[in-house]
Amino acid sequence: MVDKVGAVLVIGAGVGGLRAALDLAESGFKAYLVDSNPGIGGTVPQLDKWFPDNGCELCKLLPVFSRDGCSQFCLRRDMAHPNIELLPNSQIQEVTGEAGNFEVTINSVSRWVKTERCTGCRLCAEVCPVEVPDEYNDGLQLRKAIYVRSPQAIPNFYCIDRETCTKCGKCIEVCPTNAIDLNLPDESQKVAVGAIIVSSGFQEFDAAEMGQYGFNRYANVLNNLQVERLLASGGRTTGELLRPSDEKVPKKVGFLQCVGSRDTERNYCSTACCMYTLKEAILIKEKYPDTEVIIFYMDMRAFGKGYHRYYQQAQELGVKFVHSRVSVIRENPKTKNLLLLTRAEDGTDIRSEYDLVVLAAAQCPSARATELNQALGVDVNQWGFIQSQDWWQTRTSKEGIYVCGSAAAPADIADSVIQAGAAACEAATLLASARDQLVEAEAESVASAASDEDTKVAVIICQCGEEITAAVNTAQVAEFAQTLPDVTSVEEVRFLCLPETLEEVKKSITKSGANRVIFAACAPYHYHRLLGNTMREAGIDPSLWQLVNIREQLAWVHKDDQAQATEKAKKILAATVDRIRGQEPLRITPMTVEQKALVIGAGVSGMVAALSLAEQGFETYLVEKSAETGGHAGEAYYNLGNEDPQAFINDLRKKVKNSSQIHLYPETGVVEVNGRSGNFSSILKAADDTTTEIIHGAIIVATGAEDYVPTEYQYGQNDKIITQKELQQLLVKNGLGKPTTVVMIQCVGSRDEGHPYCNRTCCSDAIVNALNIKEQSPETEVYVLNRDIITYAFREEYYSKARETGVLFIRFNQEDPPEVNATDKAITIRVNDPVLPGKLEIDADLLVLSTGIVTGDNRALAETLSIELNEDGFFREVDTKFRPVDTAIDGIFICGRANAPRNLDEEIAQAQAAAQRAVNILSRKELQSGRIVSEVNARRCSYCGICVTTCPFNARWLDEDEHVAVVDEALCQACGACVAACPNSAAKLRGYRDKQILSVIEAVL
Amino acid sequence: MAKSATLAVKDGKIRSSINALLADLLSKQVVEAVLVPLAHPAGNNVVQSLVTNPDYLEQADVFAPVMPVNAGRIIQAMTRLTPANKKTAVVMRPCELRALVELVKLRQAQLDNLYLIGIDCPGAYSVSDYPKYAAEKTSDDFVKAAWNGKDDPMLRAGCQVCEYPVPLMTDLTIGSVGQDLKKQLLLLASTEKGEELLEGLGLTAEEDSQAAAQRHTAVDQLLNKIKETREKFFEQTREEIGGADKLATVFGPCIKCQNCRVACPVCYCRECFFVSPTFELEAEKYLGAAEKRGAMRMPTDTLLFHLTRMTHMAASCIGCGACEEACPNAIPLLKIFQLTGTNVQKLFDYIPGRSLEDELPPTAFKEDELEWIGEK
Repeated sequence: MVDKVGAVLVIGAGVGGLRAALDLAESGFKAYLVDSNPGIGGTVPQLDKWFPDNGCELCKLLPVFSRDGCSQFCLRRDMAHPNIELLPNSQIQEVTGEAGNFEVTINSVSRWVKTERCTGCRLCAEVCPVEVPDEYNDGLQLRKAIYVRSPQAIPNFYCIDRETCTKCGKCIEVCPTNAIDLNLPDESQKVAVGAIIVSSGFQEFDAAEMGQYGFNRYANVLNNLQVERLLASGGRTTGELLRPSDEKVPKKVGFLQCVGSRDTERNYCSTACCMYTLKEAILIKEKYPDTEVIIFYMDMRAFGKGYHRYYQQAQELGVKFVHSRVSVIRENPKTKNLLLLTRAEDGTDIRSEYDLVVLAAAQCPSARATELNQALGVDVNQWGFIQSQDWWQTRTSKEGIYVCGSAAAPADIADSVIQAGAAACEAATLLASARDQLVEAEAESVASAASDEDTKVAVIICQCGEEITAAVNTAQVAEFAQTLPDVTSVEEVRFLCLPETLEEVKKSITKSGANRVIFAACAPYHYHRLLGNTMREAGIDPSLWQLVNIREQLAWVHKDDQAQATEKAKKILAATVDRIRGQEPLRITPMTVEQKALVIGAGVSGMVAALSLAEQGFETYLVEKSAETGGHAGEAYYNLGNEDPQAFINDLRKKVKNSSQIHLYPETGVVEVNGRSGNFSSILKAADDTTTEIIHGAIIVATGAEDYVPTEYQYGQNDKIITQKELQQLLVKNGLGKPTTVVMIQCVGSRDEGHPYCNRTCCSDAIVNALNIKEQSPETEVYVLNRDIITYAFREEYYSKARETGVLFIRFNQEDPPEVNATDKAITIRVNDPVLPGKLEIDADLLVLSTGIVTGDNRALAETLSIELNEDGFFREVDTKFRPVDTAIDGIFICGRANAPRNLDEEIAQAQAAAQRAVNILSRKELQSGRIVSEVNARRCSYCGICVTTCPFNARWLDEDEHVAVVDEALCQACGACVAACPNSAAKLRGYRDKQILSVIEAVL
Repeated sequence: MAKSATLAVKDGKIRSSINALLADLLSKQVVEAVLVPLAHPAGNNVVQSLVTNPDYLEQADVFAPVMPVNAGRIIQAMTRLTPANKKTAVVMRPCELRALVELVKLRQAQLDNLYLIGIDCPGAYSVSDYPKYAAEKTSDDFVKAAWNGKDDPMLRAGCQVCEYPVPLMTDLTIGSVGQDLKKQLLLLASTEKGEELLEGLGLTAEEDSQAAAQRHTAVDQLLNKIKETREKFFEQTREEIGGADKLATVFGPCIKCQNCRVACPVCYCRECFFVSPTFELEAEKYLGAAEKRGAMRMPTDTLLFHLTRMTHMAASCIGCGACEEACPNAIPLLKIFQLTGTNVQKLFDYIPGRSLEDELPPTAFKEDELEWIGEK
C-alpha cells in the first residue's frame, strides 16, 4: 500500500486544466498547475466571443471562495486560489513512482525578469529593439523580445523571449526597479503528487501543409484563429474585419471546413470547427450585414447543447452553406482576390471569387505532446492523442494519470470542461484518503476591533516610479488627503509593490494606529493578494482597506493633462475616504454542512455519480422512480467501439448494491426539498406512499430522458418500420436474416421544428447498426438517408468504415424529406438524390428510424428543486461552457440526459464532474458566507415579497410570523437584485450602504 | 358570461334602492359588515365607514361625487397583518378596486372574507368642490347626468381621463352603464362569491341577460370615447412637461411635504426612504455641499423624491389622481404619473389592478423582453 500524496499535478493551464485544478483545490487537494507558456488560459484568452451565445462568461469558472472580489477577477487574466501553485514557463521532464505517489521533475525556464520586482510599467518593451511576430495575435502583428503575452494579462510581469533576445541590455538600463537579470537561472524541482491530470490541449494544424489553399502565400487566406483576433476588440484592428492585403472590409468571405481533418492522413473530425466557423460567420454577418458569407462544409456538426439553434441563427442571418470540399484556391495577383474551384453536389464545377478565405484548421496533438506522453508513459492512438479507456473518457492506460480535453480527442470548451471535472473526480477518488493533507487552513479573519474605536484612515499613495507622477501630482494629492476627515496619516511611496516597501508600509501602519487603509496605486488583480497579506499582518480587517487604481485607470488615460488628472485623483480619493469611513467590519457567517448527497435517478449517470461520491467517502441516497436501475442503457447491447454495455451496467449495479455508503430507494420520488447548499432536508415518497425524510448537503439530478415515439413515416402502422433501438434488439436476439434492403432515416424527432436540437447519439447508433447488418449479411443493401452525419472526433473512422463496407449515405434537405409508402407487402421510399436527377426510389424490407431523445415531464421536479428548464424541457445549467453541471441554485447539480442528449461515455464523464462539484461542498465541514451579503432592515420591510421573487438564488424568504423578509447568507451571492427591487431600501448590501454610496457620489460630483 | 340579476330602482330613487340592498346584506346575514361611504352629517363630504348596524346604511351614498381617500388604503390598514375574520362587503370605485388588487399582490392587503362590490363610476369632484355641488344636487342627479354622455369640466383631472370607469376585478358589480336608471340597475356576479351574495339576497340570477348585454355594449362605447380623450390628453401633457427643463419647471412649486406619497394608495412602504435616517444629514454635509455648489436648494432632493416615487409606482399607478388632489401647490402629478405609468405599463404589457394572476413587472423575469435596449 502506497502512502498517498494529497496533491495533483495538472499539466496545461488551459480552460480544462483550470477547471480541474480549481475542482481539486476546492475539495481539499493541492494542485500544481504547470504550463509551458508564461501565463494561464491556453487558447481561450485569444477568443473574444464564444458560441453559442456570443458572450464571454469565463469568470463563471471561478471558484466561489473569492466571491466578494470576484467582479474584479477574470480568468483571461489571472487566477488566485491558495491551494493552487502556478508554475508557468515549465515542462515535465520525468515522472517516476506509481498511482498515489508520483515524483515529477519539473523544469522551469527563467523569464529573466524578477517577478517580485516587476511593476509592469512597460518601459523595457518601449526600448527593446527586437520585433517578432506576436503569438497572441497569431502573427498578425509584432511584439518585442521582452513582452507580456496579452495586454490584459495579469499579473502583467514581463518575460524575455530567449530565442530572439539579443542581450543588448537596453531594458536593463531603463528598468526602474532593477527587475531584469539576464543571468537569472532556470530552475528544476521535484514535486510529489498522488495523481496527474493531462490537459495539454492541442495545436492547430499548419494549414500551409495543404499547398493548394495557399495559406501563408496568399495574403487573404487566414485561419480561424487569425479571424478571431481580427474580430476581437483587443486585436490589431480593434474588432474590424480588414483583409490583410488592403485593409478593407471584405465583401465576400468563404469559410473552408475540415482543413487537415477528415482526410486520409487524419481521419478524425476536429469536432469544434463547425461551431467556431458558425460563430465567426455570425459575428461577421452581424457586424457587416452586406458582406456575403459562404461556408463550404462536408457535414455541419452542431451537436452540442444549444448548437443547432445557433446554426439556425446563422442561416437566418443569411450565411450560405455549400456542401462541397474546395479543391484549390488561386490568387488574383492584382486584386489579391481568391478564386475557389470546387465541385457542387450535382457534379457541376463551381468557380467563384472571394475577398477573404478562412481555413478551419484541425486540432492536432501539440508539438510537445509526444515527448510529454513518453515521459508520462501513457498509450497514444495512431494520431498521437492520448488513448482513453472504454467508457471512462478521462482514464489513460496508466493508473493515476488522467486526461481531459483535446489531449485525448478534439473537443470544444464545453466538453473539455466536463471532462476536466471528471478527471478531477478520478484523482480525488484515488486520493480520497489524503484529502486535506497538504492544503493550508483558510486564513483566519482578523478579529476586528474597529467598531468602537475612533476612525483613523491611513492613505498610502504610490508613485510607481514616474508612471503615476508623470500625470498626477502626487504631492498635491497627498496634501489634499491630509485635509480629508478622519485621515490621520498620509504617505507617498516610490514603488508600493516591492517587498521592502510593503514591509515598511506594514510597520508605519501599525505605528500610526490606523484602523482603515486606502492605497492609491495600480491594477488591483495581482497586488490585491500582496496587499491582503500585508494588511492581515498589520491587523487590518479585510473589509477595512481598499485599493484605488490611479495608474491604469487614471495616470495612463490622462497623460496629457496633469491638472485634470490630479483633480480626478483627489476626487476619487475623497470618495474612497468617505466610503471607508462609513464601512463597518464585515463578518463571515459559518454554516455547517451535512456531508451526504442525494442523487435523483439511478440510470448510468445516477449510478456513476453515486459511486463517485461513495468512493470518496460520502454517504449517498440514490432514488429511482422505477423498480430497475440502469435507465436507457439497460436496453443497450452494443455501442460504437467494442464495449459491452450490459456487462458495464451489471458491474455498476453490483458496485451500487455492495456499497455500504449508498442507500438505494427504488420506486421512489422526491416530493419536497427544503434548505440550501450544505444543508437540505428532503422528503422521499415510495410507491406505497410511505415517506422518508433525509438530510443532505448536495443534490445531483440524473433523471435521464425519454425516447421520442415517432409519428412520422408511418411508424406504428407497419411492423417493418422500427426504431434503431428496436433494430438493435432484433440484431442481438433473433438476427435479421438476409434482408435485401434496409433503409435508415436520420433526424426523426430531432433537428426539426418541434425539437430544434441535435440528438448527438443517433448517427453513431445508425452506423453501428449498419455495420452489424453488413457483418451478419454482407449482401444486404443498407441506405442511410441523412441531413448531416454527426460522427465527431474518432467516430469518423466508423463512418469511413461503413462507407467502405458499402453502406450508402444519401443526403436530403429538411424541406424535402423522404416519402415513405408502406403497404403490407412492401415499403417504398422516395428520396431526392443530390447526385442523380429526379427522385431515387428504394424498396426496403425494413425501414429504421433514428429517433430523437425528448424530455419526460421535468416540471414537477424542477419546481420542487426551484431550478430551471430550458425551452426543450431539459434541466438548464448556469453556463453551457464553464459551469456545465451547475444549476443556478447552489448545491444542486445536473448530469446525463436530464441535461442534454449525450452518448454513454459522455454521460459518465458528466456524472463524475457533477459528483466532484458536490464533493466541493461535502468535503467541507463548514461553508462560509461572503462578507458582502444582503440583509434586511426589518423596521422598513413592508413584507411585499418583491425581493423574494427577484432573488435568482433563492436566498430570500418571507417570515410569516414576523412579517419580514429573511436572507439566507449562505445562498446570497451579493448580486444586489433585491436592493434594486426593494422600493425603500429595506434590502441592503453590506459594504454598500445608501449613505456610503450617496457620500461617494457627492464626493466625486 | 357572468350571472346577473336586476335591482329595481324604487320610485326612481337610485341611492335609496342601493342602500336598501346593502342593508339587506346585513339583515339577511349574508355578510356581517359593510364598508361603504356614508354621507357626513354636515353634508359637505362622504366618509368611508365600516357598518354593522343596517340602520346606518340609510346614509350610504355610493355615487356621491367625491373620493376623499382611496378605499384601497383602508382595506390595507384593515388587513395587512391579518385577514378579515368576518364576512365583509366592501363597496368601491374601480380605481379603488384596482389599487386593492395591486396591494394584494404586494402583500399589503388580504382578500379572505371580503366581498368586493364594484360600481360603474361616473367620477368625482375635488373634496373642496363637492360641498357646492352637494348643496344643490343629489348623487342621483349626478349619475344620471354622467351616463347621459355630457362632459363635466368640474370633475377631477383623473376622472376626466379615467381609462377604466368600470370595475376590472370584483365579485359583484352594481352596473349603471347602459341601464334605464329610472327602472333598474344591473347586479353582475363575476365570481362565486358574487353569486353567493345574489343567492343570499334571494335574487334569481340568470346567464346572458339582456340587461347585461346592454351594459356590455354601452361599456364598449364608453371606453372607445375615453380612448380618444386620453390620446389628446397625453399629447397635450407631452407638450406641457416633456423634457428635463419642463419637468424641472413643473416640480418647481414642490415643498417636499410628501402629501402625494401619503395619499397614493399604492405607495406602500412602511417607512419611506425619504424620511429615513439616510436623509438625516449633519450640518457639515449640507454646508459642504453648499460650498461646492455655491448654493444649495432647501429642502434638498425634491426632484429626486418625485423621480424615485415614479420609478417605484410607474408600473402599478392606477391613475386615481389622489396625488394631485393632495398637492397643496397644484403640481399636475396625475398628468405626469399617468403619462409615464401608461407607457411603462405598455412596455411590460401590464395592466395594474386587472387580475391577481398578472405578475408585477419587477418580479416577472422574461428572458426576451426589452431587447431593443442598447441598440443604436
